[in-house]
Amino acid sequence: MAVAAPTINEAAPAGRKRIKITRTLVFSILFVAFGVWLILGAINTLTPETSTLLTFGAGTPDLPVPTQIITLISGIYYAAAGVICLIMAQQRLRTILLLIGGVLLIPVIIIIAAADASTNVTTLLSVSLRLSTPIVLGAMAGIWCERSGVSNIAIEGMMLTGACNGFVVFTILSPNLATGEAQLVGVIISILSGGLMSLLLAWLSITYKTNQIVAGTVINIMAVGITSFIRREVLFSSEAGRGTLAPWPIPVLSDMPVVGEIFFSGRPIFYMMFVLVIVTHVMLYFTRWGLRTRAVGENPRAADTLGVNVIRNRWINVFIGGMIAGLAGAWFSLETTGSFDDNMTSGRGFIALAAMIFGKWTPFGAFAGGILFGFSDAMGQRFQFLGVPIPPQFLQMVPYVITIIVLAGLVGRAQAPKADGVPYDKEGK
Amino acid sequence: MMRKFLMGAGLAALAILPFASITAQDEITTVCLVTDLGRVNDGTFNQYAYEGMVRAAEDFDLETTYIETQAQTDYATNIDTCVNEGNDIIVTVGFLIADGTAAAAAANPDIMFIGVDQFVANPLPNYVGLQFREDQGGFLAGSIAALMSESGVVAGVYGIDIPPVVKFRNGFEQGVAYINEVTGSEVTALGVYIDDFVAPDRGAAAAEQFIGEGADVIFGAGGPTGSGGIAFAASEGAYVIGVDQDEYFTTFGAGETDGADRIISSAVKRVDNGVYLMIEAAVNGEAYPETGMFVLSVENEGIGFAPAHDSDVPEEVTAQMEEILAGLIDGSIETGVDPVTGALLSEMEMMPEATPGS
Repeated sequence: MAVAAPTINEAAPAGRKRIKITRTLVFSILFVAFGVWLILGAINTLTPETSTLLTFGAGTPDLPVPTQIITLISGIYYAAAGVICLIMAQQRLRTILLLIGGVLLIPVIIIIAAADASTNVTTLLSVSLRLSTPIVLGAMAGIWCERSGVSNIAIEGMMLTGACNGFVVFTILSPNLATGEAQLVGVIISILSGGLMSLLLAWLSITYKTNQIVAGTVINIMAVGITSFIRREVLFSSEAGRGTLAPWPIPVLSDMPVVGEIFFSGRPIFYMMFVLVIVTHVMLYFTRWGLRTRAVGENPRAADTLGVNVIRNRWINVFIGGMIAGLAGAWFSLETTGSFDDNMTSGRGFIALAAMIFGKWTPFGAFAGGILFGFSDAMGQRFQFLGVPIPPQFLQMVPYVITIIVLAGLVGRAQAPKADGVPYDKEGK
Repeated sequence: MMRKFLMGAGLAALAILPFASITAQDEITTVCLVTDLGRVNDGTFNQYAYEGMVRAAEDFDLETTYIETQAQTDYATNIDTCVNEGNDIIVTVGFLIADGTAAAAAANPDIMFIGVDQFVANPLPNYVGLQFREDQGGFLAGSIAALMSESGVVAGVYGIDIPPVVKFRNGFEQGVAYINEVTGSEVTALGVYIDDFVAPDRGAAAAEQFIGEGADVIFGAGGPTGSGGIAFAASEGAYVIGVDQDEYFTTFGAGETDGADRIISSAVKRVDNGVYLMIEAAVNGEAYPETGMFVLSVENEGIGFAPAHDSDVPEEVTAQMEEILAGLIDGSIETGVDPVTGALLSEMEMMPEATPGS
């Protein structure tokens, strides 16, 4: 990474223009093809009587939608938007058309997938948001680390350690403490365990200037070993399932139809996701610490010259990032499942990295990325039980395909902090 | 250190072997068990295999030892250790240890080998693999789900679509269809495969989506992923059905976890019975099946359904379930699922090239 970074920067100016044109071109052609496919599908396989019943949960009226007309209209939109983008060179118009197309994609897919059936939109959205919780938190962890110039691919390992230790402590304490108190201690232990793992990363990569990818990989592998060892030693005798963190419905707001179920009926760590996105944003852009952090991540030498303690800044940011990753781990074991299993984070730490890059290292961008991945996971499941005639193996690939499309579509513009992954040497070289 | 010890043990065994084989050739006195990754009290098939061995040892007066495997690379070494200690029966647990077991069985024709969850390609007289009729377990789960559903929607959270899981799913859906046919109800069965056995949060997400679609009975068949699904569904007030073992005791902490009154049954695979029966056969000098595999089904109590425990399953339903179980045992009810691949027989007729054995 340390070696590769300057090469990318040198290559970028020459290659950027060409990549940009190709991307618009590719998206335009994709739009036209998708539009034509929708129109043909609407005419050939759907009848005017086909309708999709969208439901929104108890206490709300159902919404019947004429599937054929919606499909036809959206097909025409995609085809037209694609053609306009191909012909007209005006960048702003293109962006708006493509953006509308992207937003429109989700309802259109739902309506087509649920043709002749009903589907509950509210649970789809609330499940999406819930599944995106660890991804968004992981992405925030990544932002704290990488904005200060330490690349952190060990989010997965920090999450796993947090998930394990928090749950183990909760299990040990639960005979003696009230469930809520034991869970609270568990969550705190999760946070601290994530922080502890991040100190290892900081020690290796800041103090000893180890290659940060290697240090991160080591931590990931070590976390798998340590946590499965702890599970075997401690949890087997009491491997029974446990209660999860109790839901915290927000008074009044949670009674609202649709919105209440999606946003205001969650559990504590779910709400922490929103809080931490805002906190991270405010920290980065509206505080002295944030300014210093960005300076350290972009140009540590300049920051050092102005009297910022680069090493200290990085240590603290990495530690805070690790604690957020630990909290994401608590989401798995303490908030959602009431159990710990080997490797239960199953790659979400890496998806979080993708979300962070998707969001160009900004909190709100990463938040959007996290939701996209959560949504595509929920959607992949929904496609399966709506009986979309595609083998489940392909539907399970949906989140990863979206990852590839999203990253390929945006990689030209994603700019990492300049000093990301480069150890700072005060003596200078 | 360990290696030296093993070598020492091997040499000692070599020295004793000529004498030992004279006395122990016909009479079976010792059993050794090699676990899959895990321990003999880990709540998985390791534990059930171990319990079956211990029960058999008590009944037939055998000495038992076991080795807990720490890494996949140790499979062959651990089997060798059991061989060198002069055991008469060796039980190995898990699909992944099958190759090592087959090789050891070929090299040691005097020792009887029992492989849990193992498919035997080349049958040997001293090696038997235990296979399960998961489709029957799924059928029972589907029957009780359809009988208990009030909303008319039931659902399954499944793991990776490998044959045992496919068998559970298709069996479940066939069970629902059977109840629809018998009682005239119109219960729909939904289901998703999740490409990970250890993603309980995604299992929970699937269960939440199913509940949103109106499902009121959820079947979880996919390791921790499925357990995550039923734990969540139970906390939301849906009825749930577990798998492999009686999940009332594991996932629901023997009634201590929230929602323990919602688990109405589990589709149980009796690994312990399989191990017990095969040890019994070896002790009595009975030959192992010529196919090299012993199939556990409802007929030999290898597959069954767990009791309702704290849940409010009416007696009529339990009685009806007993009837269905009896029907599966006497063959008057068939699951309609291929016992090897798990495919629906009705679909296989349409695709003749997919028939097994071709």
